[in-house]
Amino acid sequence: MLFNSLEFAIFFPVVTGIFFLLSQRWRVHWLLAASCFFYMAFIPAYILILFVTILIDYFAGIYLEQVQDKKNKKALLWVSILSTCTVLFIFKYYGFFTGSFVGLAGLFGWHLSRHVVSIILPIGLSFHTFQSLSYVIEVYRGNQKAERNFVVYATYVMFFPQLVAGPIERPQNLLHQFWEHHDFNYVNVTSGLKRMAWGFFKKLVVADRLALYVNDVYSAPRSFNGLQLSIATFFFAYQIYCDFSGYSDIAIGAAEVMGFRLMENFRTPYYSLSVSEFWRRWHISLSTWFKDYVYVPLGGNRVSKSRHIVNLLITFSVSGLWHGANWTYVIWGFLNGLYLVTGWLTKDWRDRFFAAIGLPAETTIRKVLMLSTTFLLTCLAWIVFRARNMTDAAYVFTHLASGWNFHHIATEQFWLRQMPVAVAGILVLEIGQLWSGVVSVPSLIGKMPVGARWAVYASFVMAVLMFGVYKQMQFIYFQF
Amino acid sequence: MQDQHSFDGIASRNAFTASAELPRTEWKKEKTVAMKDAVEKPQANPKPRTTVRRLVWFFGMIIVLAFVMNAIITSGLRRIKTSAFGASNQIMEGKVNAQVVITGSSRALSHYDPRAIESIAGRTAYNLGRNGSQTDMQVAFLKAYLAHNRKPDVVIHNLDAFTFVTTREVYDPVEYTPYLYDRELYSALRKINPNIWKSRYLPLYGYVVEDINFSWIQGVKGFTGWSPPENFFQGFNPRSKEWTGEFESLKAGNPNGVSFDIEPAGIQDVEELIRVCKQNGIQLIFVYSPEYIEMQSLTRNRAEIFSRFHELAARFDIPLWDYSDWKYAGDKQFFQNSQHLNADGAAVFSKDLSERLKQYLALQSGADNTQAPHSAIHSSAGQN
Repeated sequence: MLFNSLEFAIFFPVVTGIFFLLSQRWRVHWLLAASCFFYMAFIPAYILILFVTILIDYFAGIYLEQVQDKKNKKALLWVSILSTCTVLFIFKYYGFFTGSFVGLAGLFGWHLSRHVVSIILPIGLSFHTFQSLSYVIEVYRGNQKAERNFVVYATYVMFFPQLVAGPIERPQNLLHQFWEHHDFNYVNVTSGLKRMAWGFFKKLVVADRLALYVNDVYSAPRSFNGLQLSIATFFFAYQIYCDFSGYSDIAIGAAEVMGFRLMENFRTPYYSLSVSEFWRRWHISLSTWFKDYVYVPLGGNRVSKSRHIVNLLITFSVSGLWHGANWTYVIWGFLNGLYLVTGWLTKDWRDRFFAAIGLPAETTIRKVLMLSTTFLLTCLAWIVFRARNMTDAAYVFTHLASGWNFHHIATEQFWLRQMPVAVAGILVLEIGQLWSGVVSVPSLIGKMPVGARWAVYASFVMAVLMFGVYKQMQFIYFQF
Repeated sequence: MQDQHSFDGIASRNAFTASAELPRTEWKKEKTVAMKDAVEKPQANPKPRTTVRRLVWFFGMIIVLAFVMNAIITSGLRRIKTSAFGASNQIMEGKVNAQVVITGSSRALSHYDPRAIESIAGRTAYNLGRNGSQTDMQVAFLKAYLAHNRKPDVVIHNLDAFTFVTTREVYDPVEYTPYLYDRELYSALRKINPNIWKSRYLPLYGYVVEDINFSWIQGVKGFTGWSPPENFFQGFNPRSKEWTGEFESLKAGNPNGVSFDIEPAGIQDVEELIRVCKQNGIQLIFVYSPEYIEMQSLTRNRAEIFSRFHELAARFDIPLWDYSDWKYAGDKQFFQNSQHLNADGAAVFSKDLSERLKQYLALQSGADNTQAPHSAIHSSAGQN
C-alpha cells in the first residue's frame, strides 16, 4: 500500500483508531495484523519471504543469547547473517551477479549461457533485511536483549510506517516501544499529522511533479538538449530528496500519531558544506548502519592511511550496491567514496589555500562556495544513480553543457505550465527548511488565534491536494 | 522466567531497554531542527474526546472545502465558451444541432474542418473528434451528442488503422469529468475504467488525481467568466506544427513494421455505431482520411484491416471513402506526423472531402427519387 493512495487515507485512521481503542494486551497483535495487510497490498505472497527472514532472526536472536562459547556464538551469528542475506541475494542480486559473471567470462572468450530468472523484487526487502540484521548483531554484541515474544519481534520488523522504506531502525530505539503503553495524545497526534502533511507536500507536490520531467528526459537522454539534461539533473536532486525524505516524514509522523518515535533520517542534506557532512545528513539510518556494521568492523579510521581509504571505498561501494543490482549504483557509491577520500586528502591544502586568499572557514563566501561545490558534486553523482546504464550516464555527462536551447524546455509529460508549480514547490521547500532553522514554524502557527491557525492548516492541506500529482508513483526507495 | 506471551514484564523490560537504548539525550541530538516543535510542545493537552472532536471538525472542514472547490471547478469548466471545453459544453448544452457530424479520433478532430463543409456542401457541420479515443469512446460521445442535440442527417465517421482496438485507458479523462452526469458517457467510461466512479463521486478526484496539467485552474478561472483563446472551430482543432520527425523514430524503433489488433470487441463497437445511426435514421459514411504514405507500408496487417472495413461497409451498405492514395499522401509538407495532417493538409483535405460530400448528397437526393442504393457510389480510392 502506498502512502499516497486513497487506500492509505482509509487504512491509517482506521488502524490508528482501533489501536487506541484496544487494550494494551492486543495492540501489538493489531499492529502486526495491520502491517501484514499493508505489506500484502503489494504482492501478497511475498509476505512469506518476510516471514522467513523474521523466523531466521527471531530464533537466531534467542540462540545467540543462550550460547556462551564465543566461537559458537560467532558461527551462529554468521549462519544467521548468511541465511538472511541469501534471501536478499536470491531476490535482488542473483541476476546481477550471474549476468556480470557471464559478461566477465565473455571477456576471456568463454561464452556461458545464463539461466535468466525474472523475479520481482519484494518491496522494501533491503530495508527489513537490514533492520533484521541490525537486531541479530546487536544481540550478539550484547547491546540488546533477545526478544522472545514472536509477535513483538515480528512487529519490530514489520511495523507498517517504516516497513518498506525505513528509517532502518535499531532494536534499542524501537523494540522496547512495543512494550510501552501509548496514550491517545493530542500533542502527538497533531504533531504527527503536521509531519505527515509536510511529507505529503514533499512527495506529491515536489517529488512527483519533478519526476514527470526527470522520467521523460532520463528515459531517452539523446532526445533532449543540454539545458533539458541540466534541468532534469537538478530536478532529480530535489526529486530524490523530497521523495525519500517525504516518505520518512510520513513514516515518522504516522508512527508519532500512534505514540512511537522513529529515528530521524534526513537533516537538510543539501545544506552540507562537504560530502562527508552530506553523508551525515542523508539517509542517516542507512549511513549509520554501514558505519556501525561495515566501516567500523573493517577497521574504520584506526588503521593505516591507505587501509582507511580502502575501508571508505569498500563501504561506499557496498552502500551503492545496496541501492540496486546495477553497476550504476556501485559506481555511484564508489564515486561518493572517492569524493570523501579526495576531500579528506586535500583538506589541509584547501584550508591553506583559502586562508591565503583571505577566505577562512567561517566566512560566508567560503561557506557558500563549499555548499555550492558539495551540491554540484552530489548532482553529478546523481546522474550515475539515475541513468539507466553507464552509456546513458556518459552521454548526460558529456552533453550537459552543450546545445542549450531555451525554446525547447518542456517534455511530453511536463508541459511548461507545470514549471511554475515545480519551481514554486522547490522554493516553498527551501523557505520552509531555512525558516525552520531560525524559528519553529509549528509553534509560531500554534500561537495564532484558532481561526487563523485552522485557515493556515486548511490552506496547506488544500494546496497539497490541488497541486499534488496523484499518479500513484511509487516512492523511489521502495525498489531498494 | 517471565511470561513471554503477556505484558506483565513490561516494567522489567523497560528497565533493561532504558539502559540499553540510546540515552534520551543522545536521541535528542539526533533530532533535526525540523523537530524543534516536538521539543517545544505546548503544555495544553486536551482530553481524547476533545482531540477527536477537533480532528473531526478539521477534516470535516477539509471535505466541505473539497466539495465546494469541486463544484466551482465543474461549474467553471461548463461555463467556458472556447477551446476543447467550450466545444464539449456546446454539445452537452444541445447548442450544436448540426446537419453533418464528424466522429472519430484525433485524426477526425484535426482533419475535418466543418466550416469547409458548410461553405462547400451547404450543410451545417460540427466535429466531435476526440483526442486519444477509440471507437468505443467515439460511439459513447456520439450517443451523448444525440441525447442533447437534434439528430444529424449525416455522420462522417473517420476510420483509423487502430479502429478495431478498444480503449485501454481513457486519454485525458479530465475532458469528460464535468459531464459524468451523462448516462451514456458515464457507462462507456465505466466499462473502460471501473474506477471512474471516483471522479464522479469523490470531490476533486477527477480534477487533481486524474489530471496533472491543472485543468482545474481553467475551471476556477472559468467560474469568473474567463475563457481561453479559441483553438476549436466548430469542434475542429487544426494542428499548426510542421513535420515533427516522430515517424522517423517510430520507423527506427520498428524496422519490421507495426501491426494493429483486430479485436472482436472493437468490431462490435463499429457495429454499434452502425446500429445507432440506423436506429436514428442517420446516413453514415466511413472515411479513411489521409495517412502518410510510408506509414501505410509500415503497417503489416493493413490489408486485413481494410478487408474488415470493406466487409462491414458492404454488409451494412455504408459508403467507404478511402483517402489512402490522396494526392499529397507522400508530401510531408501537409503532415505533422504519419497519422495527422497539419493545418495546411487539413484545409486541402477538408475542401476535397466537402466537394465529394456535396456530390454525394446531390446524388443521394436524386437517388432517393429512383431508390438507388448507397453502394452505387462506393469507392475504395480517393476522388482527387
